[in-house]
Amino acid sequence: MGEKKIKNIFVEGAISSQKIADSIQSHASKTNIGAHSIFLGQVRADEKDGKQVASIEYTCYQDMALEKMHEIRESIFAKYELTCMHVYHSLGNVMVGEICLFVFTSSKHRKMAIDACSELVEAIKFELPIWGKEIYQDQTIVWKENK
Amino acid sequence: MAITVYFFGSLVDITGQSKKELNSFSDTDALNLLLQKDYPTLISTKYFIAVNQQMIKTNHELNNGDIVALMPPFSGG
Repeated sequence: MGEKKIKNIFVEGAISSQKIADSIQSHASKTNIGAHSIFLGQVRADEKDGKQVASIEYTCYQDMALEKMHEIRESIFAKYELTCMHVYHSLGNVMVGEICLFVFTSSKHRKMAIDACSELVEAIKFELPIWGKEIYQDQTIVWKENK
Repeated sequence: MAITVYFFGSLVDITGQSKKELNSFSDTDALNLLLQKDYPTLISTKYFIAVNQQMIKTNHELNNGDIVALMPPFSGG
């Protein structure tokens, strides 16, 4: 049995477009890759009672989330023929229009990359102990719930 | 050693804290009952319980040093 390596997926604040660009660029040397699939989650300006969301503040149960993410990662690698898999999720405050989730899968062919990416996003949303608090422009708050 | 209870998400607002140390409890039902007595809003709030990072669905025995987490439905991404 190999040593279990727990990767940290969390980044403080928004995920910059530079980080996403750098991540794509760093795969240029892996020439067995033929397809990348990328999912980006963006903070939406939801409206409620005439008020608009200004930002979402994310918190998590880090130990449990990283352990669970490790399990998800292993099961996705077992199911799909992937070359790489990268997941980043924001913690703390992320403003409307900014990126809070970045999921990146690479494979020889498109189908594996797309299907794995899609399954990963669903697992992240429903299985990781992460919570988002919507902060409205008037500073009132509403706790988000994934549907 | 006691039992450490962590609150997450909206439960932090309800209880006014993210962490609480409690004296030994026999099981999660007993612990839950005390917490609901101290914070009645919990009774009408949906949450899951994990013991040492494992989600539990039924009553679970507790031992000194256990870490209990109360978690509302997840909303990451």
